[in-house]
Amino acid sequence: MRSTRGLVTTSALYAVLVSLAVVYIFPFLISISTSFKTDADAAAHPLALVPSTFTTAAYERLFLNSDFPLWFTNSVVVTVVVTIGRVFFDSLAGYALARLPFRGRGVVFAGLVAVMAVPGVVLLIPKFLVINALSMYDSYSGLIIPLLADAAGIFIMKNFFESVPPSVEEAARLDGAGTFRVFWSVVLPMARPALVTIVILSFQGSWNELSHFIVASQSPELFTLTKGVAQLSSGALSQGTQYPLKLGAAVVMTIPVAVLFFVFQRRIMNSSAGAVKG
Amino acid sequence: MSRATSRVTRRGAGRGIRSGQQAAGWLFIAPALVLLGLFLVVPIAMAAWVSVSDWSGRGNPFTGAASFVGAANYGELLTGGGLAQRDFATSLRNNGYYVLLVVPIQTAVALGLAVLVNRKVLRGRGFFRTAFYFPSVTSSVAITVVFLFLFTASGAVNRLLGYLSIEGPNWLNDPRGVLHILLSAVGVQDAPAALEAAPFLGLSWWDWLAGPSVAMSVFIVMAIFTTSGTFMLLFIAALQNIDGEVEEAAMMDGTTGWQRLRHVTIPMLRPTIFTVVTLGLIGTWQVFDQIYAGSQGSPAKTTLTPAYLSYQTSFSSQEWGQGAAIAFILFAIIVAMTILQRVVLRERDAIPRRKRFHRAPVEAGAQR
Amino acid sequence: MSTIHRTPHRAVTATALTVALLALTACGTGFDDGAAGDGPGGGPLDVLIAPSGDAEAASVKEAVRQWSTQSGTKATVRAAADMPQQLSQGFAAGNPPDVFYVSTDHFAGYAANGSLEPYGDQVDAAFYPTLVDSFTYEDTFYCAPKDFSTLALIVNDAAWEQAGLTPDDYPTTWEELRSVADRLTTDDRVGLTFGPEWQRVGGFMAQAGGHLVDSGGSADVDTPENAEALAFVQELLADGVAAYPADIGAGWGGEAFGTGAAAMTIEGNWITGSLANDYPDVEYTVVPLPEGPGGPGTLQFTNCWGVAADSGNKEAAVDLVRDLVSDDQQMMFAEDFGVMPSVESVADRWTAEFPGQAPFMAGADHAQGFPPVDGIADVIADFNAQLEGLAAGGDPQDVLSSVQSSLEAVAP
Repeated sequence: MRSTRGLVTTSALYAVLVSLAVVYIFPFLISISTSFKTDADAAAHPLALVPSTFTTAAYERLFLNSDFPLWFTNSVVVTVVVTIGRVFFDSLAGYALARLPFRGRGVVFAGLVAVMAVPGVVLLIPKFLVINALSMYDSYSGLIIPLLADAAGIFIMKNFFESVPPSVEEAARLDGAGTFRVFWSVVLPMARPALVTIVILSFQGSWNELSHFIVASQSPELFTLTKGVAQLSSGALSQGTQYPLKLGAAVVMTIPVAVLFFVFQRRIMNSSAGAVKG
Repeated sequence: MSRATSRVTRRGAGRGIRSGQQAAGWLFIAPALVLLGLFLVVPIAMAAWVSVSDWSGRGNPFTGAASFVGAANYGELLTGGGLAQRDFATSLRNNGYYVLLVVPIQTAVALGLAVLVNRKVLRGRGFFRTAFYFPSVTSSVAITVVFLFLFTASGAVNRLLGYLSIEGPNWLNDPRGVLHILLSAVGVQDAPAALEAAPFLGLSWWDWLAGPSVAMSVFIVMAIFTTSGTFMLLFIAALQNIDGEVEEAAMMDGTTGWQRLRHVTIPMLRPTIFTVVTLGLIGTWQVFDQIYAGSQGSPAKTTLTPAYLSYQTSFSSQEWGQGAAIAFILFAIIVAMTILQRVVLRERDAIPRRKRFHRAPVEAGAQR
Repeated sequence: MSTIHRTPHRAVTATALTVALLALTACGTGFDDGAAGDGPGGGPLDVLIAPSGDAEAASVKEAVRQWSTQSGTKATVRAAADMPQQLSQGFAAGNPPDVFYVSTDHFAGYAANGSLEPYGDQVDAAFYPTLVDSFTYEDTFYCAPKDFSTLALIVNDAAWEQAGLTPDDYPTTWEELRSVADRLTTDDRVGLTFGPEWQRVGGFMAQAGGHLVDSGGSADVDTPENAEALAFVQELLADGVAAYPADIGAGWGGEAFGTGAAAMTIEGNWITGSLANDYPDVEYTVVPLPEGPGGPGTLQFTNCWGVAADSGNKEAAVDLVRDLVSDDQQMMFAEDFGVMPSVESVADRWTAEFPGQAPFMAGADHAQGFPPVDGIADVIADFNAQLEGLAAGGDPQDVLSSVQSSLEAVAP
């Protein structure tokens, strides 16, 4: 009796889960398959998971006959530099907040909390004004420098450093190592899990960033993937609909974050959860 | 902090290290502080000036190319009676419905997914979690492109509806408000005289009550699709914390799963629900990327949002003061909503929320 | 770096921070105050264009390259991805391109805030007076019209024949337009398509005898003429003999026409190029737009060659423009990408060369342009948004009165 009911419940559960999973995955599968279709095929059979005529025309156009490779390179450059910068500056600041008793620490901490509450979109116009005033407008430095530190990352590092027992550092300090040395060679290596979290967050954040790049540059040479594909999507490069081309671009720009996601899958699932628990 | 300090002092390491740490502390935090100061704090001050100036986008607004106009820009938006006010009101309406629908639904969906996936005996648990979370890591631009394709007039979604013998609308080009459509189904075609008045921000009651347009509904679905995974993870974490207690409760009175969820799990998840709703409110009032890449406000301005309007007003129409004013009003709305939500939820919140501060980092992370 | 912890005071960093912030707000290095960089220095020119397609981009690049070799001034041509955004950010940042396309809807705004160099009088060419009007702000002729286009009716020959129609049936009145659209409408094709924007629908307003602003430049939208035009458009849409492109799965009229979703469309010269490229098999005829109760009427579109007030080499920039608007160069552009020269002096040459497109040129006689009013771009954008709602049953009178009040705010 009971086991039959259990079986029914379990099957129902799996049925629900599987259909939900289909809903969540289908858009990605259909994008990949459509990117290998011809324009006409894509319009005629929008639901078909297998192209009726398989073509790589969309990718050829993207890689050989558009600025797409340039966008891709720019995105890589910005993302790599920003990620390195955030790992370094966030952990420095996080360490200071967690371990270095300096006067004004409380004020700084409160300031960071306040700054985090400011919604990013509100800063679009003012960021342009500042970047322009600093003569960084329309240059790589304008794209990169404003993203080099983020308050959220500082908090994650601060929380982590607070959880490390101070005895290790004290031992090193008594051996005569300076503060930076202690931080660099003793504490930082232990912070690997937190650093991985920062890497994931900043990679994902800067790879997917759009609004900052819009206000920080205008030259086509400085387009990143998000900006380029957004233009593509709103019709800049094409007269018609050209879905295989657009979806191909979307697929390619998703690959790096997808790879990162699958490599660090376990860590991502845990770190987001871990951060919540605080 | 005081613990570490006092220990050092107690050990008699002396003033050298303490003052050294003073300097080191500032040096360590200086780069981050300068960066955040320059690109977060200073911009706000500069924008505040621009929002009360008449800068038209040429010359330096801080050395004479702009003059002080007081609250004129804000007045134009809030009481001007012109196009600017109407556009702003329209964008508030659009985004308001977006928030009203996205926040509760994404919270419910995320909770539902978390409960389903959190089963003790579940094969393929990792797979399901991955499937539900994956949309959250992809870029909003890429997802927008995908949704534009799925929701074309003869696209995938309408084909699916066709199998069910439903003729789908021309989603992204349909400016009709969902509530207006429902009303016309019961015979109300035009604005009843009572609703023609335009008492608030120059938009008639009838227009305020349009509901999200069909086009906006696509963005609403998209938001739920992309954010439910992130919030699911928050719920899973919380569920794992309380699993033991829930089981005990279940053992004791032999309740059904649904009762357990309703009376034990959900009340215990209050703090997490609170977090998710806060994050949702902050995030949904800032819709920009999707609109920029997807619709640019069309059809008939029904997907215009304050964030996009602020950008457009400044960067395209060169009304920089007005654009900055929109941004500040949006800022105020977000702060007000967060506080309001805090007050409303707190009243019914029996469980003390521990370590609220430490949750903050996720806010930013989760919204990006 | 490990020795820095000996440095006595946090004051160092605090000061550094303060100095950085002060320097930033005070000096504002990135903003150009307009005083500098005006000399006849002879720097290279940066040309930003918004081409309709690859053909136009290539043609302009070639023209600029030739001028560059001749004059010895270096010049690079770039295609804009988002012209208004790039230009306004460029103006605000003080480093705009030297020469660029300026659309009629943004012209007045750029002229009003001093971004444009008013060099119009320095170019000696026989521009059409209506085009000069389009680029005249507060009695100053700012920039040379690049070329122009007008709207005409494009008819699909095969569909026309199929419906049993002959060349005698080309519509010359609204009633005839309605009846042929009806005959051309089938289950999977509408008779007529045009975009939901003033830039198309405005043609009907012109034919009804209406306009956006009166001869004095004041808003004059809420008129019986315009109401009649919108009512007619709404009837066509409601009867199902006309549809907006988006409602028949196309991005614009030309695409709907090319794919066969519509048998007629209202478009400008640019359609000939895209049809040749994307739908080379579609045979079509260009005929004048039908006359309305107010007589013949159409709209004209144009861009001008803007020269930035902040350009470092205005002299060369104006010289380049002189070259680009010369008779021969304009005929070259016409051949390459189908526009009509902005100077009357080659009108006959053009018509002789493109007899099939004569109706476009003929339209110039009774075409209305985009009024050069600061702030009108937003009003038109709002008008267009409301026109989208017309198909869903919006009230034309409401549309007109709301546009009238918004336009009054910028054109009293």
